[in-house]
Amino acid sequence: MDFELTEEEKAFKESVYQFSKKEIYPESSKPEYDEKGEFPWECWKKMGEFGLLGLPFPEEYGGQGASAMMTVLAKEGFAMGGADAGLTLSWGAHTILCGVPIWKLGTEEQKKKYLPKIASGEWIGGFALTEPNAGSDAGSVRTYAVKKGDRFILNGSKIFITNGPIGRVFVTIAVTDKSKGPFGISAFIVESTFKGFSVSRKLDKLGNRTSPTGELVFEDCEVPEENLLGPIDMGFAEVVKYIFMWERSCLLAPALGSMEAGIRRCMEYARDRVQFKKSILKFQAIQKKLVEMKMNLEAARQLVYRVAWLLDKGIPALVEASLAKLFVSEAIIKQSYESLQIFGGYGYIKDFSVEKGYRDARLATIGGGTSEIQKSIIARALIQLSGKDIE
Amino acid sequence: MDYEFKEEEKEVLNSFKDFVKKEIEPVVEKVEEMGEVPREIFRKLGDFGYLGCFFLQEYGGFGLSLIISSALWEELARVSPSIFLSANASILLCANSIYIAGNEEIRKKFIPPLLKGEKIGAFCLTEPEAGSDVSGIRTTAKKVDDGYVLNGRKTFVTNGPVADIFVIFAKTEQEKGKRGISAFVVERGTNGLESGKPFKKLGVRGSPTSEVYLDEVFVPFQNLLGKENEGFYYAMKTLETGRIAMSAFSLGIAQACLEESIKFASERKAFGKTIAHFEDISFKIAELKTLVDEGRLHLYKAAWLKEINSPNANEFASIAKLFISEHATRIASDAVQIHGGYGYISDFKVERLYRDAKLGEIGEGTSEIQRRIIFKEMLKEYGIEI
Repeated sequence: MDFELTEEEKAFKESVYQFSKKEIYPESSKPEYDEKGEFPWECWKKMGEFGLLGLPFPEEYGGQGASAMMTVLAKEGFAMGGADAGLTLSWGAHTILCGVPIWKLGTEEQKKKYLPKIASGEWIGGFALTEPNAGSDAGSVRTYAVKKGDRFILNGSKIFITNGPIGRVFVTIAVTDKSKGPFGISAFIVESTFKGFSVSRKLDKLGNRTSPTGELVFEDCEVPEENLLGPIDMGFAEVVKYIFMWERSCLLAPALGSMEAGIRRCMEYARDRVQFKKSILKFQAIQKKLVEMKMNLEAARQLVYRVAWLLDKGIPALVEASLAKLFVSEAIIKQSYESLQIFGGYGYIKDFSVEKGYRDARLATIGGGTSEIQKSIIARALIQLSGKDIE
Repeated sequence: MDYEFKEEEKEVLNSFKDFVKKEIEPVVEKVEEMGEVPREIFRKLGDFGYLGCFFLQEYGGFGLSLIISSALWEELARVSPSIFLSANASILLCANSIYIAGNEEIRKKFIPPLLKGEKIGAFCLTEPEAGSDVSGIRTTAKKVDDGYVLNGRKTFVTNGPVADIFVIFAKTEQEKGKRGISAFVVERGTNGLESGKPFKKLGVRGSPTSEVYLDEVFVPFQNLLGKENEGFYYAMKTLETGRIAMSAFSLGIAQACLEESIKFASERKAFGKTIAHFEDISFKIAELKTLVDEGRLHLYKAAWLKEINSPNANEFASIAKLFISEHATRIASDAVQIHGGYGYISDFKVERLYRDAKLGEIGEGTSEIQRRIIFKEMLKEYGIEI
């Protein structure tokens, strides 16, 4: 057993951290992005140039050939440098939810066509799974695809789609054989320019406001047959297998960085804030909060790293990924709550980023599978392991 | 980064699991009733190599890493927290402090019989008036011609009633606070050393705890551990590993609670189905699993940092102990809740586990002390002065 990062890993994390701090933070932290819900395009371009957007893809498709561990470290370092949470969310949906399935399941042509554009950031990607009536119960999607000649015709609507309003390419989940339940659902690569595709509205929301979220409509949307992703009817099951593991580790890695940066911010604020004639950092009640934050961060980090390590070894990590997702998401929300408490009135107004952090963090236990779904996955696995059947 | 045990480590762990099943499981209840761990158990743990797992071979140990050692500790604590605690006090507190502070002669004399389980050790630091605040101990060690004379009273001494070898901390310089503390080895039978009656206590009832009285106890020079007035430092170094072991104690209890809960929930029926069917129950179990897994990663990381002598070892030992011990009490409470009425009676293991768990937040430094240590380290880490 060995908990040490390699020198290469440490250096890479540090370089992303510096990049984020110097190149991204000054721009993405401008309050108008958050206020107006605007996407920081300039930052996105820089991320593409730096090589972040295609990190795990093989080099031949414009990627960096980074391991899952490296990807996790990049995301952690990026958030640690102060990059906006919405930006990391868009990055996750783009690279992990859209890019990874194409890389893992795509044909040579699909990979050649889409991955380089995703890696450079020229085309923004998204993942269209959730529907108004299919959230946690993802298997009950109703958007359907019918084969007609050399194309599939899609009908239905998708909601809460990260990057929806700005995306150019979406991995889209639709029913191809109603009679087969979850094993009659396929995945398609849908471009926003395809006939019949539209974004019906951009959703206004609590946090992560710089990352546009939208509702997508497929109205006799024409998708060429070569854009079927993975095997027919099994696309959903296959896609889910990959992204749930990647999503629940890599998508969560920014939480680690933002928790780390948050602790520093709280320590510095508490040191400088004087009440009752002394720095509030001297009060045990404040110290206790900071210690809890540190303890949970270290715990969260180990859980996320372990999933990345398992992914790199090719060991299935569905339960471990759920454990990580559950813990990290609860931890960041708790931290954002306590941070605001330490900042008091100053935390509640917009002058400090604490108020924004509080709003941004709240997504953690909802997006990428709610806490309840993670618990359900873990509980099922545990009870099955004990030789019983929960059903 | 590598989250896996080596093959030979897995073998050691598996054979210890077999040993625990065969030799420990059958005596767990008896030990609780007796209120002490039979010497035969110490000898068996010694023969297996458990007691000497991470000590160097020259002292009768096996030179295993702290990481695999902590996996062995967890396994014993999972089955019997009481036996773990007595063995732990003998090895990780008594023998290890002798190793940390003592010269070659004193190490060779006292450590091997402890590792073999022929003798039982105890560690006497806490006093009625000095718990978390070690610097406030009042036991005195007065220098005389050929040694020291100790006077005072120690309390909450694990193995106090049965130990053969005591490591005792006393003030050699009254006015100097923690920099006036020295450590001594005293054997049972020395004039003036006596143990009190075993305390009655909430949990870990199979491991006896008592006061130790020191009335004009003469200790020769050669039984001074290390240097005079360095005792506080030795105690803290010892507790650094001790805290890792106490994390394993809490983790073992938490793991046992998880296993008992899964078993019970998948057998117990209510409203026409097993209670594992109800999300209130199954989600609770999922939360327990998350915390246990997390706790184990904390434990292994703390052990690893200590193993490589990292400057962060101290902080992470405290992080591990704080995290695991506080969660273990909650986990034990949830396990009782899952069992309902059955969890409240002694027929089911969780009743005992619930009582046993609480010690984790107190022994070897309370949670409050762990927070203090972590916070001090955080100030260094973030470059902040207050």
